[in-house]
Amino acid sequence: MEIEFQRVGKKYESGQEALSQVSFHLQQGEMAFLTGHSGAGKSTLMKLMMMIERQTSGQILIDGVDLRTLSRRAIPQHRRRVGVVFQNHQLLFDRSVFHNVALPLQVSGADPQQIAKRVRAALDKVGLLDKEKYNPMALSGGEQQRIGIARAVVNKPQLLLADEPTGNLDPKLSAEIMNLFQEFNRVGVTVLVASHDLALVARMRHRVLTLSHGRMVNDGGFGS
Amino acid sequence: MTQRPNQRGATRQSVKATQHHWPTRSAFQPGKYFRQHQATLAESFMRLVHYPLASVMTVMVIAIALSLPGGLYVLLKNVHAVTDQWEQQSVITLYLFPELEDTQALALSHRLSAQEEIASVEYISKEEGLRYFERSSGYEQIMSALPENPLPIVLRVLPNEVVDVATLPNLQALRDQLASQKEVDHAELDAQWLQRLASILSFGQRFSYALSILLIVAVLLIVGNTIRMAVESRRDEVLVMKLVGATDAYIRRPFLYMGFWFGVLGGCFASLCILVLSWWVSSPAERLIELYQSGFQLQTFNADEIVLCLTISALVGVIGAWIAVNRHIANIELQ
Repeated sequence: MEIEFQRVGKKYESGQEALSQVSFHLQQGEMAFLTGHSGAGKSTLMKLMMMIERQTSGQILIDGVDLRTLSRRAIPQHRRRVGVVFQNHQLLFDRSVFHNVALPLQVSGADPQQIAKRVRAALDKVGLLDKEKYNPMALSGGEQQRIGIARAVVNKPQLLLADEPTGNLDPKLSAEIMNLFQEFNRVGVTVLVASHDLALVARMRHRVLTLSHGRMVNDGGFGS
Repeated sequence: MTQRPNQRGATRQSVKATQHHWPTRSAFQPGKYFRQHQATLAESFMRLVHYPLASVMTVMVIAIALSLPGGLYVLLKNVHAVTDQWEQQSVITLYLFPELEDTQALALSHRLSAQEEIASVEYISKEEGLRYFERSSGYEQIMSALPENPLPIVLRVLPNEVVDVATLPNLQALRDQLASQKEVDHAELDAQWLQRLASILSFGQRFSYALSILLIVAVLLIVGNTIRMAVESRRDEVLVMKLVGATDAYIRRPFLYMGFWFGVLGGCFASLCILVLSWWVSSPAERLIELYQSGFQLQTFNADEIVLCLTISALVGVIGAWIAVNRHIANIELQ
């Protein structure tokens, strides 16, 4: 999936300006990091792409389609094509790992056999195939994050967004998670990872977008 | 409903066409649709079973609220069945204009006897009337002191059918028709106690309608409140489902089914309550009926009425859930 931001601004009703004049272009199959201090606008940028928030100025094109032209009713279809991973994993503790990962397929009405096959494939990719019957509560933080990733990719999205996916993980686990994203990127998925872990980002040697106070201050390079 | 972009760069378009397939709303697939519904129906029932105490309490409150109008309905049905057997031979009395001649009155009397809904017409001349009046009132002297007979000619019309509560309106129509004859000064239908009974019954009916409406509103509120709490307790789930692309309809569905189950189960218990209650009162009621030697059989909820009760309660459950879900799911937005 290809993403293009053209002078995008987001001003909240409170008057706070979260993003202003943000422009960048992410090619199909590209992987990039989004960094910046907390409050720089990383999460807002992610939310705009998920259509959780709507921009107040500028244009966001995803595969050439202007998100402003999508109606409220088209939002679910849009979200099914995008996988997201959040720092607070947003797993549901009232059901097993399997059913957590199956959720995106269930809401899109896939048939049960297809669901079982795809869920196991996704769990296999994150190395947790043997944990499908567990309650996510019984798993470690790193494992929970990997379940979140399995859920994000189970739908075979063309775009994977991650907002601070390594937020509270130790460096070794963080590196593992990042490697997972890289693997998905290698098979053609466009990946954008928001992270403030600059050292880790620098090691990954991918394009880095840096936000500061809602503005894009650096685009390119491998971080510093 | 998918909107295609209305403006795209001309250069970009050729490239894009090959690589993206923008979501088009998937075609309606009945199999998939029913499978989803079936699963949700079962799942929402299991959810009720999962919280047995709370569910049973809600169901019982609904059942009690529904069994009140249901019981009243059965009571009215029985009252109707009893009173339908009460018949009265009634008479319409026509007071003709005093200046009318005997010949004209007789002509009217003949004309009326020919009408098919009239069995017979009794002609009471002014003199007969006077004699009858003197005999019954004891005002002989006063009457004889009058210069002339003040009484009009009277026709006593006996209708063909025996009247009961149900056929009373027919007779009232006949009375009105007779009253409109040009010879008739005043027409009186003598079925007073039946008329009173009819008004009491119609009062009872109105009263039970009003009560039913109030209690159905109460059920709507009960279901609405229960569903509101269910939505609140599943807030995280709703958020995640929105995040992974669930449509509003998909999110609404389990709650609507929950309302459906509350309604159906409430309706079942209400029907059961009514059946048990009618069984309980049946033996004293039958003794009472025996005393009056009537061939009347006590009536209770029949199969049709149970089905109707369940349909109404299921509908009320779904509507209550719908109102609550629409209000509360809109409040749960991703942030």
